[in-house]
Amino acid sequence: MYELSPVADRVARIREKYRTSRPGICIARYKIVTDFYKENPQLEGVLKRAENFRNLCENIPVVINPDEVIVGTQVTKYRASALYPEMSFGWFLDELKSGSIPLRDTDPYDVDPEDAEYLLETGDFWRKECLSAKVDAHIPLGYFDAAGSGVTYFGTEGTCSFPVGHFTANFEKALHKGFAAIRADAQDRMEALEGRLFGDGAARYTFYRAVTVVCDGMIILAQRYAAECAWLASMEGNPARKRELEEMSECLNRIMSNPCRTFHDAIQCMYLYQIGLCLDAQQHGISFGRVDQYLGGFYDADIAAGRVTHERAQELLDLFYLKVAEMNKIWPYIATLSGPGYTSGQLMTIGGVTPGGEDATNAVSYMMLQSAGRLVLHDPPQSLRIHKGTPPELWDAAIETTKIAGGVPTFENDDVIIPALQARGLPLESARNYCLIGCVEPQGCGDEWACPGGTGSEAFFNLLNAFLLAINNGRNPMPGFDGKPAPQAGPQTGYLYEMETFDEVLAAVKTQIEYFANWHVSLVNMWEYVASEHMQLPLLSATVDGCMESGKDVMKGGAKYNSTGNAGIAIGNIADSLAVVKHLVYDTRQVSARELYDAIMGDWEGKEDLRQMILGQAPHYGNDDAYADEFARWASDVYGDAINSATGPRGRYAAGLYPVTAHVLYGMITAASPDGRKAGEPLSDGISPVQQMDKLGPTATLKSVAVIDQEKFSNGTLLNMRFHPTALSSESGKEKLIALIRTYFAMGGMETQFNIVSADTLRKAQERPEDYRDLVVRIAGFSAYFVELYKASQEDIIHRTELSF
Amino acid sequence: MTETLTGKVYDIQGFSIQDGPGIRTTVFLKGCPLRCPWCHSPESQLFQAQLSWMAMRCLGVEKCGNCIPLCPKQAISPGKAVQHAVTGEDVRHVRVDRALCDNCGACTAGCHPKALAICGTDYTVEELVGRVSKDKPFYDHSGGGVTLSGGEPLCQPDFAVAFLGRLKECGIHTALDTTGYVPYEVFERALPHTDLFLYDLKHMKSDDHRIVTGVPNELILENARKLSRDGGRLQIRVPVIPHFNDSPEAIEATGAFCKSLGDAVEMVQLLPYHNLGVMKYQRIYDPEAGGKALEAAPPTEGEVAALKAILEGQGLPVTVH
Repeated sequence: MYELSPVADRVARIREKYRTSRPGICIARYKIVTDFYKENPQLEGVLKRAENFRNLCENIPVVINPDEVIVGTQVTKYRASALYPEMSFGWFLDELKSGSIPLRDTDPYDVDPEDAEYLLETGDFWRKECLSAKVDAHIPLGYFDAAGSGVTYFGTEGTCSFPVGHFTANFEKALHKGFAAIRADAQDRMEALEGRLFGDGAARYTFYRAVTVVCDGMIILAQRYAAECAWLASMEGNPARKRELEEMSECLNRIMSNPCRTFHDAIQCMYLYQIGLCLDAQQHGISFGRVDQYLGGFYDADIAAGRVTHERAQELLDLFYLKVAEMNKIWPYIATLSGPGYTSGQLMTIGGVTPGGEDATNAVSYMMLQSAGRLVLHDPPQSLRIHKGTPPELWDAAIETTKIAGGVPTFENDDVIIPALQARGLPLESARNYCLIGCVEPQGCGDEWACPGGTGSEAFFNLLNAFLLAINNGRNPMPGFDGKPAPQAGPQTGYLYEMETFDEVLAAVKTQIEYFANWHVSLVNMWEYVASEHMQLPLLSATVDGCMESGKDVMKGGAKYNSTGNAGIAIGNIADSLAVVKHLVYDTRQVSARELYDAIMGDWEGKEDLRQMILGQAPHYGNDDAYADEFARWASDVYGDAINSATGPRGRYAAGLYPVTAHVLYGMITAASPDGRKAGEPLSDGISPVQQMDKLGPTATLKSVAVIDQEKFSNGTLLNMRFHPTALSSESGKEKLIALIRTYFAMGGMETQFNIVSADTLRKAQERPEDYRDLVVRIAGFSAYFVELYKASQEDIIHRTELSF
Repeated sequence: MTETLTGKVYDIQGFSIQDGPGIRTTVFLKGCPLRCPWCHSPESQLFQAQLSWMAMRCLGVEKCGNCIPLCPKQAISPGKAVQHAVTGEDVRHVRVDRALCDNCGACTAGCHPKALAICGTDYTVEELVGRVSKDKPFYDHSGGGVTLSGGEPLCQPDFAVAFLGRLKECGIHTALDTTGYVPYEVFERALPHTDLFLYDLKHMKSDDHRIVTGVPNELILENARKLSRDGGRLQIRVPVIPHFNDSPEAIEATGAFCKSLGDAVEMVQLLPYHNLGVMKYQRIYDPEAGGKALEAAPPTEGEVAALKAILEGQGLPVTVH
């Protein structure tokens, strides 16, 4: 039976501080890195990144806040964001200069005036030193003609405002081996190569050397925290806290170098390694992997030995979760629109099967749900892996948690994801050990470099715009930001009114999707070519399987398994647009192609009656109607096949179908479409039908959505559902929801997530945000506090079809 | 015979989770011999098709008005200016003159938002079985199935029996939501194809029953006894209606009757009155006519809990919907 036990007083205090602190900007990391880069132009590649990391570990301020037991931070101010200028910095300087950062309508950050002055004085150094500028200099010449399509969002300037992010380390190695042993391994391999740098030996030698440097850094950081704890203990008047600080100091002196012994050790080690990964690589979708699997053994052993009580262990987990929640990273404003609500995607995975295929549920699986539920946290996001043997109690706990914290956890289907991962090259045992990254992206846990976010912000592929280019002779109907008509970007596939058969429409759409899929892959590959020189990830590579063996960083293809992810969006809109065109223009001939074309290009001005007819009478995806559903299948197949058959320097690509909230952002810059959508309105969300066009309830929606061959999308699919709370008010209602998910999964569904909140409540929260401070809702791949979202994102959630009874 | 046989359906509700076990589809047949004033589906009462009009969906004559010239009886005209319930804009909805309207449905062809719709569609048994079979995977995973409701579904006896029979042949669990007010011969025909009866009991006193619903209760009670005797499985549904059957005495009498039916009764369900039906009357009757539906304060949670306790005191398993 799922019951929330009360939280400890100090946990409650920290949570209150978390919910009432306004995020700011901390320049500590920025200063250290800027000085380091300016003083060390002689360093290159992986060694530069390694030395930069060690230097950070030696100099980043050590901060231990009152009440804390799990420690570590990148910043001096609570909930502040560090800055990572090595990746991209121009956007930050521009926003800083304009003064807009504290005034944003979503995710504002306070900036100290003195800090701002310092940043503006020193920041220009990074405009050309950052990775984004280096990538800009390598944009293929031919792309200057294909940019501005609105299909792929690569520009020709200021590309890669994000880091690659989106990975998980091999935490098991950090916990069970420790960085002293990893360092010794690297040292041995260096010594074996000493004086024999034949072939690629120089590269391998340098990689191993980088690993020794980052291992040193990790241990130094832990010891600095240990010293701070000891110092605080010496000053502490309260004997209980004094003893606790002494124990923390002992733990921090031992872990990172040595294997962990206790549950407390393991949590502290995970957290400090995560802090290290973020200090090195920028905090962006860096996920924890299978946390219950790492911790279950430590918990059982501590309980058996009487070293810890269940309550104390739960409190430690609470404190750990709050430490994850406090971590913030500022994004460019425009990117924030696609990922609002202060999220950094540090996803944790629960449940599923073991590499041997047995049910993996343990005591910590339940404790993770308990912490999310009793603390009402949107961050860290959590994913629950479902398989045939998932215990009913875990189902129950998950449904109860998602009622409290909207969308936590998501539900992931082992039966679809494991074969999907095998298809992209993971062996069965490794596929069974998958975890979720960032939002919904499956990846081998600690042995795969799947780069599921692609380059970060540029991972999205707007299928609806491919359609619009197809019927507009390869030109984006949406004017550019300068107001000028968009240039000829894609192949000249003709205009809708020139197409005599529907097959010509399909052929044109296929041409555009494939053309831009090729460009997209080309640009990601060029990015990787540049990034693998300048932005290697030695601290991650120190643990990921394959790197030590091959002597290569993950960015150089060192991981045991490799792929690169991508995400198609607007599947609902393209399916409906195809269905509407076929139905009205070619099958029933109710409307001429010219009339429909003109209506779209005129953004439905004076054509409201036609638009209403389309909304009310034409076939729409999501109603268990093959006429429209088959186009969701067709379009996703064309996109999926194009992406999956592409290759990068490390191996193949992996298609996905998820939007974060890019569907709102990209909707703003997508012209009107034949499905009745006006210019600027949000695109459809994930693999969901177009908002409010699924009119026959959840069973019909799920049957339609299951028409998509989801196993083809190993980079993840996302299906949001919103239920009215009365649906789950009884035990039988809950059982029926579980049956609904199970049926969807049996039909080939990969993932689903829920908001169990009424439109009425959401409206009230808009009117009286102060009364709904803790209302957590699922947005896309992550959850957020509803009141912290910008208006368009709030409206999008309200407009998603509410399923009630 | 089933090829030409048709039933008049006014709604099909997927993911229905309040009408029997598991995930179900509920099919609503049109027509009912009772006239309960609390009825929340007034469109279920008449046997013939009716034109339904939903204000919420009507764009108003400023933006649309397509329906007006389509009506051969000139029954549709611009109504008074009102505030639109969704957009908040000032609009003049259309008004249907029910005295002129013959429910032909010609107007619906021009109504894209489906504010105007004909309520009551003819289905053959195979069409309807095909429609509800689409959700069979959900029935199978949840222990659900199909519920046939109304109106009074057994008022279309040949169709109802044929439909239930075909569902059983397809391996689908069947439930029948009934007022009980049909000749027992019809129940005898339905019984072999019905896994569960959702059987309404409104009042034990026949006079009260007759005055309020329009029919006495003797046949209803008699049919319940016979169904129990002949192996029917029953969930008894009791609408809790203020000032009608919400007294402890009335509920106790209903409970005693349920007890007398023995093991056949699996569950007693209390369905507290709600006033959502009031709005639905306006869809098929002139909104300005008014007075058709019961408008009362719904019973409080505490009142319902007290009634539940009485039934439980009688040894009955009870749920509240």
